[in-house]
Amino acid sequence: MIAMPSHTATVAMEVNDTTVAAAVETRTSLAEFLRVQAGLTGTKLGCEHGVCGACTVLVDDEPTRGCLVFAAQVDGKKVRTVEGLADGRALNRLQQAFHENFGLQCGFCTGGILMSMTSLMEKEPNPSREQIVEWLSGHLCRCTGYETIINAVLAAVAGGEDLR
Amino acid sequence: MTWQTSSHRSTPMVAARSVGRSVLRSEDPRLLSGGGRYLADLSLPRELHAALLRSNEAHSRLLAVDVSEAQALPGVHLVWTGADVATFCQGIEGALAVDGCIATVMPLLARDTLHYVGEPIALVVADSRAIAEDAMELISVTTEPLPPVTDPNAALEAGSPLANEQLAGNVGLRGGASFGPVDECFAVAHRVVEETYHTGRLSPTPMETRGVIASYDWASQELKLWTSTQMPHLIRYFVTAYLGIQENLVEVLTPDTGGGFGQKAHLFVEELLMPLASRELNRPVKWVEDRRENLMVAGQAHEQFITIALALDSDNHITAMRTRALGDGGAFHQPPWSMAVEPWCAAAVTPQGVYNVKTLEYTYEAAATNKAPVGAYRGVGYMAGTYAREAIIDEAARAVGMSPFDFRRLNVVKQLPWVNGQGVTYDEGSWLESIDRLEQMVGYEEFRERQLAARAEGRYLGLGISVFVESTGESTAMGKAHGLPDVYHDTATVRMDPNGTVTVTLGLTTQGQGNRTTAAQVAADMMGVRPEDVTVIAGDSTRHTYGSGTVASRGAIIAAGAIGRAAGPLRDKLLAVAANMLEISTDDIELADGRASVRGDSEASVSIADVATSVYFDDSVWPEGFDPGLEATFAYDAGRPMFSNGAQAALVEVDPFTGFVTVDTMYVIEDCGTVINPGIVDGQIRGGAVQGIGAALFEQLLYDDAGQLTTTTLMDYHLPTADVIPVFKIEHLQTPSSHTWNGAKGMGESAMIAAPAAVLNAVNDAIAPFGAILRDIPITPEDVLRAIGQVTD
Repeated sequence: MIAMPSHTATVAMEVNDTTVAAAVETRTSLAEFLRVQAGLTGTKLGCEHGVCGACTVLVDDEPTRGCLVFAAQVDGKKVRTVEGLADGRALNRLQQAFHENFGLQCGFCTGGILMSMTSLMEKEPNPSREQIVEWLSGHLCRCTGYETIINAVLAAVAGGEDLR
Repeated sequence: MTWQTSSHRSTPMVAARSVGRSVLRSEDPRLLSGGGRYLADLSLPRELHAALLRSNEAHSRLLAVDVSEAQALPGVHLVWTGADVATFCQGIEGALAVDGCIATVMPLLARDTLHYVGEPIALVVADSRAIAEDAMELISVTTEPLPPVTDPNAALEAGSPLANEQLAGNVGLRGGASFGPVDECFAVAHRVVEETYHTGRLSPTPMETRGVIASYDWASQELKLWTSTQMPHLIRYFVTAYLGIQENLVEVLTPDTGGGFGQKAHLFVEELLMPLASRELNRPVKWVEDRRENLMVAGQAHEQFITIALALDSDNHITAMRTRALGDGGAFHQPPWSMAVEPWCAAAVTPQGVYNVKTLEYTYEAAATNKAPVGAYRGVGYMAGTYAREAIIDEAARAVGMSPFDFRRLNVVKQLPWVNGQGVTYDEGSWLESIDRLEQMVGYEEFRERQLAARAEGRYLGLGISVFVESTGESTAMGKAHGLPDVYHDTATVRMDPNGTVTVTLGLTTQGQGNRTTAAQVAADMMGVRPEDVTVIAGDSTRHTYGSGTVASRGAIIAAGAIGRAAGPLRDKLLAVAANMLEISTDDIELADGRASVRGDSEASVSIADVATSVYFDDSVWPEGFDPGLEATFAYDAGRPMFSNGAQAALVEVDPFTGFVTVDTMYVIEDCGTVINPGIVDGQIRGGAVQGIGAALFEQLLYDDAGQLTTTTLMDYHLPTADVIPVFKIEHLQTPSSHTWNGAKGMGESAMIAAPAAVLNAVNDAIAPFGAILRDIPITPEDVLRAIGQVTD
């Protein structure tokens, strides 16, 4: 007979500039917290092993697999998700470049990829194709064959330094 | 062969305006901003969560299942075993309606026997998925081992244990046919080339796993079933048939879907279990598959052993061919495609490809094994069949000392229309041209020089080609041409609103293909408006139009056909009213760019919005006896088999020290008739080819001798990543179909069909200096090193 977990913890984090606080089971992952407690379902779960990258969000500006981190570990931190990318009511330059370059098909992996590429462009405003490929290799996309995603990021990079 | 001609198999002709342009996808802004609503994103009030306890043994007697501790766990609402659900449904029957297919009945939950790792044993419904999984740990299962059947070749030998007692001799499918004097041709052949090829067991691996939410309401007796499926109408039909619920009381809803690739084009037991549980508990029940389950049980695919023999005359013409396809079927037929579709399609549907071989015979077999059931995956049957054929064509070319281009050119059908040995007519295509064009594209002679120069430096480059022809737009005529008596048709509703915008409702669902955008382009051209003035509802609910499923490269053809037919009478009404408004004959009016214009008079026009307003609100401009409805629903079924074709070349480099294969460039010639949206079509090509590269080099579901699946995470089942993709060079030849109004043919599967053979042939070209040849995929680095003698046991 295994012990059934019943521990709860109160977790508060700043998600896309809004504070979200909730009492959750300690086994709740960050991705689940974002999807259920914060109601932001743009963060997807594709494998729950940290392989596919669909759950990638930025925790204090660092790309993080939402499925491999407990919500409690992110207590007090700042989280950015795909829902926070748009510039007001317009797609930001990276999102727009994905649109114009056919950089997505089913869209399931797209949110995580956008967050990693956002982080790359914040760290390295002028990344090379090789750097983009290296960062993108941490994500699985089953639809596009990746080339249009790489082209989209290159187009966004060519558009200037400020993502907005 | 004659074809039944019906009105639902023809469409009116109009000029293309937005068709042919890379219109940006209307789907994107929502998906790019996190607004997609996939199945797992939906929540209903009072919903409960389900988990399935699955077998961790391949083949066992199931002696007892004790669920008492699980039932007692707080938060658990229901625990069912096989006996519990058998009272509602004995199981789901599966078989393909082709000669020699033996049906099976798959229980919703295992009863007396466990047949494969992953077979569901018990359903748990609880307040949360986590509690349901906790409860699963408390279920005690008692089994007695039975011998596992894991090798499909051995499974068919006399005396083999049975994988499933329903299939005598482990035969799930056995049949074949012969056309012309095959034995005679082989007897007098100048040369016979014969080999066996193996394609690995694949998982389609959509990034979104499967999922089902069922909500049954006892008061209205209505069932709402959300499911991540490619064929909602078929699911509704099965649900009503198996569960005894009236069809008008069942609505199947399809939210945003994160890829399908054929995996989501089946009826799965979860689609029956969740409605049953919801009806029992009178609460919504949600089940979202995890990745382990997806790799274990969600429609495995493509594994075949294909033996091909070619008879050649002294001029190197292929005079006859024999094909034997054997599929590793798993333990049950998964409806509707079953374990039959892979080997049947590989052997019986275009076995000769583009080559002028009318004398041929084929046999197809599916062997039952203690593995998860196989199903459809992009290029079903076609990929394995094309793989084996294009591989042996290369071996034959090498045997007779011809270039792979010259040998194919010698044997390709040069005159279309062409009737093959089985009596199937191929109306049009660019079979020879695609080979010529590909040779120019790759610069063949120059490549051979580069290859020699590289070898001098110890580098091994290879070029491999693959030529295909593919049936697309699965239709009644297509099925009948190949001996499959299925009937297909889809409806579309087109409505123009009083201000001239258009709403299209399709029976087709979408899994990421951009169908809403391409359908809007089609409708825009038919109605003379812009694509952005068209909203497309793509199979969201079975309440509206009917569809036979987004499968088998049907989308473009069905959209063009059904929208074309439904828009036709609306056009006529717009023309009639515009003629009265402009006081001119309908024959002189053109609908385009948002205006009804008098031909040859750019000044005389009225906006289509004004015409629509008049249809709704101004009876003074109506013709006599006018019916003002600007809404029509019509059915469509492609009247003839439609075939796309093309050719691919892979340029690879093989590292002789690591065995790693790098695909440097993929050259693609595609002829799918009229290209509706180049951005979308090229996306299908790249995505399909990368899946083909995955099949050729990386992906394989592996079972051990005990029938245990050893690849249950994406760390073990290797999908291609961005660092292993090639550069793409894509060209389109456009031979329009004469049977769709805009000339489009299907193409969603073609790149996946062609790519694996191109990669294999390229690797074999690269390692030819070692006297080595490979015939099985995936080609792992170890396979390469063994083949070239770098690794020996």
